[in-house]
Amino acid sequence: MFRKVLIANRGEIAVRVIRTLREMGIGTVAVFSDADRTSLHVRMADEAEHIGPSASSESYLRIDKILAVAKKHGAEAIHPGYGFLSENADFAAACEDAGIVFIGPSSDSIRRMGSKTAARQTAIAAGAPVVPGIDHGATVDEVRQFGREHGYPILLKAVAGGGGKGMRRVDAEAELDGAFRDASSEAERAFRSAEIYVEKLVERPRHIEIQVLGDRHGNMVHLGERECSIQRRHQKVIEESPSPLIAQHPEMRHEMGAAAVRAAQAAGYYNAGTVEFLVDQDRRFYFLEMNTRLQVEHPITELVTGLDLVRLQVEIAAGGRLPFAQSDVKWTGSAIECRIYAEDPYNNFLPFPGKLTRLTRPLGPGIRLDGCVYEGWTVPMEYDPLLAKLAVWTGSRGESVDRMVRALREYDVGGIRTNIGFFRQILEDPEFRAGNLHTGFIEEFFARTKPVAAPEELRAVAALAAALHTMKRTPSTAPAVAGGSSWVEAGRSELLR
Amino acid sequence: MKLDLKIDGAAEQIEILAPGPSCRFRFGGAEMAADVEMAEPGVYSILIDGRSYEARVEETPAALVVVIDGRRFEIEARDPRRLVRKGAGSVADGVQAIAAPMPGKIVRVLAAVGDEVAVGQGLLVVEAMKMQNEMKSPRAGKVLSLSAKEGATVTAGEVLATIG
Repeated sequence: MFRKVLIANRGEIAVRVIRTLREMGIGTVAVFSDADRTSLHVRMADEAEHIGPSASSESYLRIDKILAVAKKHGAEAIHPGYGFLSENADFAAACEDAGIVFIGPSSDSIRRMGSKTAARQTAIAAGAPVVPGIDHGATVDEVRQFGREHGYPILLKAVAGGGGKGMRRVDAEAELDGAFRDASSEAERAFRSAEIYVEKLVERPRHIEIQVLGDRHGNMVHLGERECSIQRRHQKVIEESPSPLIAQHPEMRHEMGAAAVRAAQAAGYYNAGTVEFLVDQDRRFYFLEMNTRLQVEHPITELVTGLDLVRLQVEIAAGGRLPFAQSDVKWTGSAIECRIYAEDPYNNFLPFPGKLTRLTRPLGPGIRLDGCVYEGWTVPMEYDPLLAKLAVWTGSRGESVDRMVRALREYDVGGIRTNIGFFRQILEDPEFRAGNLHTGFIEEFFARTKPVAAPEELRAVAALAAALHTMKRTPSTAPAVAGGSSWVEAGRSELLR
Repeated sequence: MKLDLKIDGAAEQIEILAPGPSCRFRFGGAEMAADVEMAEPGVYSILIDGRSYEARVEETPAALVVVIDGRRFEIEARDPRRLVRKGAGSVADGVQAIAAPMPGKIVRVLAAVGDEVAVGQGLLVVEAMKMQNEMKSPRAGKVLSLSAKEGATVTAGEVLATIG
């Protein structure tokens, strides 16, 4: 086993990886940019090294700097987390060349699954169903021809893409030229590749993905599914396992699991990976893409299987065999995760970095919180706005929804805006509770939900709190009350001693 | 003492008849009694007729934000007997201010003072956490002021330009 591992990441995932490494008795090396000197992963790690300015292109994406730190500190392996360099085949290859173990698949597997079009071809060869599409960077004329053959709507996607960047829905041929131009330029900016491919759009699909895990000796299992249909801007915000659909049709888990394992094995895959599928209204599933890394939402799989995926990743990277077979994998209960973001859900989910002035975390039965924040910390504006992942587990989906609502009620983050209150609205929605999920759920939710007026007593309490707080403030911090008079001061000191 | 309030845009008045912890106040025509304690800085535990509320108050440049059990209220409070200093966002009639929707960094400035702009024309681009947000002119007119500079950091609600 390794004695020391470098974590080439930041934020909650770096903290999560450090936790397991510590449990395994493995030393940890953190890297950090200017913006992250006081971030939790640096504070928690055994060793830490500065790698450059805040811009990730000058720090967390610098292969040369990260390898230099690994050598200097004697790290034998690197865990890439997710995002940044985690799906960068050149990074995996550079680690291989430097004699440092990359905790993940081979650079060759990343290449075969990293490009979405190459992944589609691999999946087709492995017999996995795919949505009709053009499997290579296409010209606008090829896309027009495709639209005529398969009908609209269609979906334009970036070949090098992810996270919804460079993606455009096109409902009619007249919109195609403009949409193609926008998608290519967005793809060019985000991924430095303007290449676009096209797929037939599946209406109201569910996003259901399969966790796979394989060792370097040819063994591979799947660990069941996660449903991630609740998304904003094509990014997941709530995930759950089991999928409410698959809970009703358990045979789908085995069909999709087998298809995922076949596709991954066709790419010579080992370590942890995720095969994403779209599921249409008739419960047909289509291969979407493979994420060749640990997923953000891996904790819910850990909760229902009782496994530690990071520990397994490290053991596999060190040459170990899978310690169990497919028939040993058991799923128990129901887990849900909410991604807590520094953003304003009522203003187009715009990010909201800033200083955390107050923090109360949910506690009690069945709560798991993977986070990187603490009171007084300033959420940097340079990186993804993910603050924490709040996951709950109970024996059934209904109880897990109730537990999540309870946990969200306890969760308080002051100083910045977050989506905590918005999640409560979603989880209390009858359609969500009924498990009627699809990737356009949030847009539809906003369209059909009218704001409910607050009860009068709640408004009175809010008014009282605001009044007392205003009277208590010192003049210099009270922008609404001009000047500072002695009687206001006196009033303040009488109040709330 | 009396305070004029604006709760999510609606005008109200509150009168504090007796301060805490055994507080009496008048709101919405009714006189109410409340047991009030500040449990943590900015966090008020309020008991009314045996019901327990927790109000979390936060100061933002524009208003106070009060959160009670996940419900968010934006409240402006002022003493009616005091002169009110003009807030950062207040501007003359017909002039529209463009305020930053989020904290971030200005990555591009697309107009200059004196430019004639059309409705929906992009004025500047603010970026935070990998998201870019183009701020567009809400009306046709002339750019009267433009304090935004490329590379500058801005806070939410900060006025970046005015159009008249």
